[in-house]
Amino acid sequence: MSRRPLYALSALAGIAVPGRFGKPDGEPGVVIAERQGLGLATVASRKGQDAALKAAVLQVYGVDLPESSRVAQGPAVIFVGYGPGQWLAVSESLADEALARDLSTRLAGLASISDQSGGRTVLRVSGPHARDVLAKGLPVDLDPRAFPLGSAATSVIGHMGVQLWQVDDTRSYDIAIFRSLSQSFWRWLTASSGEFGYEVSGQN
Amino acid sequence: MTGTSFQPRRLATGGLIDRTRTHSFAFDGETLAGHPGDTLASALLANGKRLVGRSFKYHRPRGILTAGSEEPNALVELRAGAHREPNTRATTIELYDGLDAASQNRWPSLKLDLLAANQLFAPIFGAGFYYKTFMWPASFWEKVYEPAIRRAAGLGRAATEPDPDHYEKANAFCDVFVIGAGASGLAAALAAARSGARVILCEEDFRLGGRLLAERSEIGGRPAIEWVKAAEAELEALPNCRIMERTSVVGVYDGGTYAALERVNDHVPVPPAHEPRQRLWRIVAKRAVLTAGAIERPIVFGDNDRPGIMLAGAVRTYLNRFGVAPGRRAVVFADNDDAFRTAVDLLAAGVEVAALVDARKGSSASARDAAEKANARYLTGAVIQRVRGGQSVRGVEIRDQGGKIELLDCDLVAMSGGWSPTVHLTTHLNGKPKWDESLGALVPGALPPGMSVAGAASGQFGLASCLASGQSAGAEAARACGFAPSVHALPAASAASDETTASTPLWQVADGKGKAFVDFQNDVTVSDVKLAAREGFRIPEHLKRYTTLGMATDQGKTANANGAAVLARVTGRYVGAVGTTTFRPPFTPVAIAAFAGHHRGQDFRPARLAPSHGWAEEQGAHFVETGPWLRALYYPWEGEEPQATVNREVANVRDRVGVCDVSTLGKIDVQGKDAGIFLDRVYANTFSTLPVGRARYGLMLREDGFVLDDGTTARLKDDHYFMTTTTANAVRVMQHLEFCQQCLWPELDVQMVSVTEQWAQFAVAGPRARDVLQGVVDPAHDLANAAFPHLAAGEVTVCGGTPARLFRLSFSGELAYEVAVPARFGEAMMRAILEAGAPYGIAPYGTEALGVLRIEKGHPAGSELNGQTTAHDLGLGKLVSAKKDFIGRFMAARPALTDPARPSLVGLSPVDRDDRLRAGAHLLPKDEEAIAKNDQGYVTSIAFSPSLGHWLGLGLLVNGPERHGEIVRAYDPVRGGDVAVEICPPCFIDPEGERLRV
Repeated sequence: MSRRPLYALSALAGIAVPGRFGKPDGEPGVVIAERQGLGLATVASRKGQDAALKAAVLQVYGVDLPESSRVAQGPAVIFVGYGPGQWLAVSESLADEALARDLSTRLAGLASISDQSGGRTVLRVSGPHARDVLAKGLPVDLDPRAFPLGSAATSVIGHMGVQLWQVDDTRSYDIAIFRSLSQSFWRWLTASSGEFGYEVSGQN
Repeated sequence: MTGTSFQPRRLATGGLIDRTRTHSFAFDGETLAGHPGDTLASALLANGKRLVGRSFKYHRPRGILTAGSEEPNALVELRAGAHREPNTRATTIELYDGLDAASQNRWPSLKLDLLAANQLFAPIFGAGFYYKTFMWPASFWEKVYEPAIRRAAGLGRAATEPDPDHYEKANAFCDVFVIGAGASGLAAALAAARSGARVILCEEDFRLGGRLLAERSEIGGRPAIEWVKAAEAELEALPNCRIMERTSVVGVYDGGTYAALERVNDHVPVPPAHEPRQRLWRIVAKRAVLTAGAIERPIVFGDNDRPGIMLAGAVRTYLNRFGVAPGRRAVVFADNDDAFRTAVDLLAAGVEVAALVDARKGSSASARDAAEKANARYLTGAVIQRVRGGQSVRGVEIRDQGGKIELLDCDLVAMSGGWSPTVHLTTHLNGKPKWDESLGALVPGALPPGMSVAGAASGQFGLASCLASGQSAGAEAARACGFAPSVHALPAASAASDETTASTPLWQVADGKGKAFVDFQNDVTVSDVKLAAREGFRIPEHLKRYTTLGMATDQGKTANANGAAVLARVTGRYVGAVGTTTFRPPFTPVAIAAFAGHHRGQDFRPARLAPSHGWAEEQGAHFVETGPWLRALYYPWEGEEPQATVNREVANVRDRVGVCDVSTLGKIDVQGKDAGIFLDRVYANTFSTLPVGRARYGLMLREDGFVLDDGTTARLKDDHYFMTTTTANAVRVMQHLEFCQQCLWPELDVQMVSVTEQWAQFAVAGPRARDVLQGVVDPAHDLANAAFPHLAAGEVTVCGGTPARLFRLSFSGELAYEVAVPARFGEAMMRAILEAGAPYGIAPYGTEALGVLRIEKGHPAGSELNGQTTAHDLGLGKLVSAKKDFIGRFMAARPALTDPARPSLVGLSPVDRDDRLRAGAHLLPKDEEAIAKNDQGYVTSIAFSPSLGHWLGLGLLVNGPERHGEIVRAYDPVRGGDVAVEICPPCFIDPEGERLRV
């Protein structure tokens, strides 16, 4: 029989429909975009390999691995710290499983890699009211004084675990959630964004 | 609206209301008018409405006592239908056009309330009456007495429909949190915000200013309101300051955390689309300054609850802030100078003042001066012993120093027993307020960490000291957060505002006549307090429980101090020694909906959806909650009964092939050089010897020797295992493993991460499973039995190159595989399997069929892995390794856990094949009586087996494995079942396990 390639499906397919929603007038206070096709992988340092891993990541990916809840950006891969010796690697160019394969090969023996590219929905929440929306669920102070550029957080929103990091200094946040919770999270996010007016943009 | 805009008691000028606009509103169906800036209370008073409610127990007519959130009397039902909210305080409801309110606790009408007859029975309605009066016959309590009492008592009616509004929660963070925006709070916020500190200023009112809105005071030689406006404008312009109006701070919690309720849209008829009605804030602050002000105390005297008797400060609020004259002829009755200023304000508003009744023995120059200015008599050492009038004050009986009684006509009594600092928030972390003799009031004692108190809340009542202490507290708080506030000169407060603040409270008019109320909201009188004391309830906490003094929506804000004073008097104690009740959150009532926020209905809790969920919905699957997951329960065909669906799905697996989404199982990547050693220690059986490319069933024990969880673990590489857990225990197992790794054996090179979400995993089970898999797994992978035997595991590709993992595992006892792909391909994989399986008669099956299949095979699951069973109980004793150490080994060897008589797993078949089995039924010896002594176990799981054509079950039975063939009773007293069952081995299908190895 014919083996048609499997199609990939966002957990928000048919739900995160592009358009303008909530309060209809004025500029949208919030812009929401799903970042599809990202390479995502967890990287955990092998016992006694911290320094070697740090050096390898610097050499291979041009990233100085952060040692706390911070995000470090390289040209192809960013590393989000979420625990001692644990990072979430995120990449646009090394899409989907390619990132985990690349990390497994190039960091062999130094770190344990697990592909997570199918297991997370990543949303970029930006706009002048992005912080006001996130405040409705996230018990983390996102004021630039407390959460400067390069900060990351592992926390909860509405009883749902999230990883969040700041990608630039214009009130823009990337949020990774468990794929299975995408619909519940989406309902929270859109209910919370409504009063500011929000735009769901297409593929980011 | 025309014709109704006349407001008889509205003053011609003055007040912080917008007279250019009129709001029309309804009270008890009558259309009335008010202005923007009014509260419902001020608008009612402007319309001459003084009777606004009936009391809780005696249904006495009640009016408006206060002008703030401490109001005990003026509780109304606000809005109608699904929006109806009972017990809202008219004094805090911001008037809006179209407001609809109704009085409550009266029948048939407010003016003619038949239940007022309760007053006639007052002698039996005393404190604790329901404990004493309705004792006999005991059976009458539930059926007669309690329903009757509940009908008669209580206040408003809750809406009966679901609340249509949206509520939400939010978090905020700051350096300095200022609670209350009166003179002290504004000064504190200014001092802190000017230094650059992040400031949040919360105010429960819809306007900043506190008492400055209500008094004719001056700051810097100008009306105080101008200073308020300037301060507000400056704070608003500072980017580091956030002003939150209509926001009540209701609780103090550990770590500088505060709860605050923002009434976002309570002041409009219906919240605008997309906006919440209320928002519950969690505010985290490094420092807090409490500037919550003070609450004025009533005086306890005969019939002191009549409409027209108000707190003196409230009278000034209605005069000065709202431009309303609450009466035509007033008597001021007080024990402090501050209150007698009211006379001057009354006269200025054109209200005649009959007399100033000063309870103090000596004459006060300030009070005498006020009396002169108000053209009123000044009576010292005098008291009001009783009030004349029913639904409104008509006059007062004044008793002078010599005991002479004089009647004075009046329709307004402005009373004041002094002010009590609003200490409530200082006590939420168990701080005890302390008695200040010079103030005659409780002041804050030990404060919550990070909190300071300024202004009236700290017992500093004068305006100048409020400004000074506020500024100093704000600056100090900013300094503590690392800022360097500069010293700003304070504006001078007007001399008139710096009244003497010393107070010698009267509390209670001795030997008064009529009912003297201590707690208006709960109808607690002096005689109730006396009765309680006589019966031994001598401390405030006991008094509260016995009499209800200090309970309900106002939590005794105007009653507690007087209650303690009356209690002190009747027990012959010093009032400062009596103490107080504990104030707990919330400071003011909070709707349950605000606590729920977004989480109601569908979003009561988040739901995890399996990768094939959308497809399953398309098929019309029924779903079931399994822990946090929604799983497909079964996939009914049109018109098919549930049992028929399950039977069909089971039979299809046994006869042909089925597919089930098992993605919800916990999946954990365990990697590292020492992964095998680690697994040997956490599992009762051995994994370090598992060859790469193979999977093994694993049993995990808790430290105490009981079974924690089971699942299969495959070895994908030398240093990479892939563990699965049950759906229900996934999080718990992960926590257990992390604890073991981090705390017990940090020296091991092992890393774990949950990959539950990464893999969409499908069980393909049935005699044709291999045929189906061959249609999806790429041809490079040989699936022949020899190449990929039972318990084989490996990485493959499917559908032309998609990376996948394949495991030959069987929960059903049939030839079966589990195939996993990255979750984004999950739905496509389900469709591909069904397409490949169509020629073989494949059908999806849900968790119900999954359960039947495993019961037929005797595999233990949640009902057997119940935290009280050992490996031996489950018939898994052989798995437990004797060659190595592992978690639970030692404790599992305890005598009670190795007792051979322990209830152990058996299969159960009804002797009469038509009998139905019930889970939970007790197992008893065949001819023994159904009493606890004869209980030998119970039925854990049951299913109708389409394969066998009858019900069967699993159970835990004493000496179970030795009793195969015996007949016992399955006795179910709850559902009336008593079935003879035969004990058999816990496996009904293919006991040799040949089918899964073909």
